[in-house]
Amino acid sequence: MVWLPVVLLACSIVFYVLMRMQAHHMQEKQLLLKQENTWNAFLGKNGQIERNISGEYSIRQTDLAAINNENAVRDTAIYYAEKKKLLPFQLLSSRYQWNHQTYVLTTYVSSTEISHLIIKVFLTEICILLLLLIAIVFLNRKNSGRLWNPFFSTMQKIQEYDITRNPGFSLPAETGITEFNALNQSLTGLISNVNSAYHHQKQFVENASHEMQTPLAIIRSKLELLINQPNLTEKAAALLGDITEANDRLSQMNRTLLLLAKIENNQFPSVEAVNVSQLLLQLLHNFKDHYEAFPELNCDIAEGVMVHANLSLIEILLANLTRNAIVHNLPGGKINIKLTASGLIMENTGLPAEGNPEEMFERFRKGSHQSRTTGLGLALVKQIGNVYHYHISYQYSNGWHRVAVVFG
Amino acid sequence: MKLLVVEDEPSLLQSILEYFIQEDFLCEGVAGYSDAIGRIDAFDYDCIILDINLPDGSGLQLLQYLRQYKKEEGVVIISARDSLDDKITGLNFGADDYLTKPFHLSELNARVKALIRRKYAQGASVLEAGNLRLDLASRSVSCSNQVVSLTKNEFDLLAYLLNNKNRVVSKQAIAEHIYGQQADNMPSFDFVYSQIKNLKRKLKEKGSDDLLHSVYGLGYKLSL
Repeated sequence: MVWLPVVLLACSIVFYVLMRMQAHHMQEKQLLLKQENTWNAFLGKNGQIERNISGEYSIRQTDLAAINNENAVRDTAIYYAEKKKLLPFQLLSSRYQWNHQTYVLTTYVSSTEISHLIIKVFLTEICILLLLLIAIVFLNRKNSGRLWNPFFSTMQKIQEYDITRNPGFSLPAETGITEFNALNQSLTGLISNVNSAYHHQKQFVENASHEMQTPLAIIRSKLELLINQPNLTEKAAALLGDITEANDRLSQMNRTLLLLAKIENNQFPSVEAVNVSQLLLQLLHNFKDHYEAFPELNCDIAEGVMVHANLSLIEILLANLTRNAIVHNLPGGKINIKLTASGLIMENTGLPAEGNPEEMFERFRKGSHQSRTTGLGLALVKQIGNVYHYHISYQYSNGWHRVAVVFG
Repeated sequence: MKLLVVEDEPSLLQSILEYFIQEDFLCEGVAGYSDAIGRIDAFDYDCIILDINLPDGSGLQLLQYLRQYKKEEGVVIISARDSLDDKITGLNFGADDYLTKPFHLSELNARVKALIRRKYAQGASVLEAGNLRLDLASRSVSCSNQVVSLTKNEFDLLAYLLNNKNRVVSKQAIAEHIYGQQADNMPSFDFVYSQIKNLKRKLKEKGSDDLLHSVYGLGYKLSL
């Protein structure tokens, strides 16, 4: 499209040049014709004709064997007294022999009309080309709009596509354009493959977690029987302690993975008005009970902050954030909590987390080498945030970890 | 007390049976639905521990069968399914309690005992060990007739240990009993230690010394 005006401009120039050449040629022919007519008239009247008519011809007798610019068209100008100006003419001079005398016949043709004509034709041509340009651009726009319409609607659908939310995704098979039909067909196929892979993956995690519950239960029960054995030695007790702890962590991890899978599968559909302020205060109270060395707490909790969500999920979200703030704290550290109607900000002192802050919310991403954490807490927070479209962000600055949750 | 355990996983079944036999229960174990029906028809039990997923039927069907024939057995469901819906369904079908796998045997024991007390003792809910008396109904504790004032958590902890008298109860089991799912992901069980410490001190003040014992840092045991 950018080249179109350039091409049109080039064409105009070529057109102009060609027209000039044609005009020149035509004038030359006219001059030659005039020469012939005038000389014929001169011979017919035995040289008894007017020898000079301004702007038409002139006949001179000459002795020179040759004249300048013979048989070549030249430019000249003739003064018109009544118009008080010089007008451009073309002239052609040729030598003729008659009665042993040499004559020079010069014929004139006015250039004014032809150059006016050239200008008018050229302007007309410019107008036509401009109209053509506008028409081409306009039609092109309109046509491509209609032609690409299915493509853009496909694009939009793909952009809106979210694997976790709409498994039943399909594109129209009939768009009216063969290529886009093929594109939509391929995309629909691709997406249905991705969907089924995702679904299987989800199912796998859930099934695996489920199936692991029973062996975990067996290990746990056997361990309980073992620690109740009489004549247990201290060495054996230490080993049992380690096994119990590891098994417990495994159970927790498994339970959390199962929970994540369930949230993903939307198995917490019931929604109610949840009083976040009350829930948070209750949680903090419980946590203070749990931890001997509870960090210094600085609360700014607005009253009656309500969200519309599943109570257990909100409880899990708040508990995980609070627990995180306690666990990843420094000895003698601090926690700041600020709850407003629009969101929650939880800050705690701590050592900088290893790795990219963006990846903090991924599964099994551990900021520090706390062997007793599962590395799933923030993943759970993120997952719950996704369900209710909460915006959750993390940043670290000046020794403070800061997690902000903006309620939908 | 007669107990029937219906669980298809032989290893787990055996563990449960062993634990309850040590608690002086009369225990029988079956691995399938039809075996369980046979037993229920032939005998009366005080309590049934029931797995939902059985190879030849569902635990829920068994529950329906029980209620249909007006059997009065108390039922504790043990299941790998832990969603609220599963629990509600189980309880609606007439179960008395619901425990999710993996569970602690000490927790199962406490639940079964609580169930039996509720069903058969009609409020006579007093746990005793030596001169220690714990009344579940009034939530009061006394040592040689002196009232011991305990916090809610300390009371729950003591009741739990009394239910599992003479047995080592692991820290994890205590944590989960008191705080439920909130015990998940806790970086330490220090709070169990501090609760036990406080409890010991309070009991000692009222003259019940030497009841609570720590077992190699694995857990705690209440014994005379």
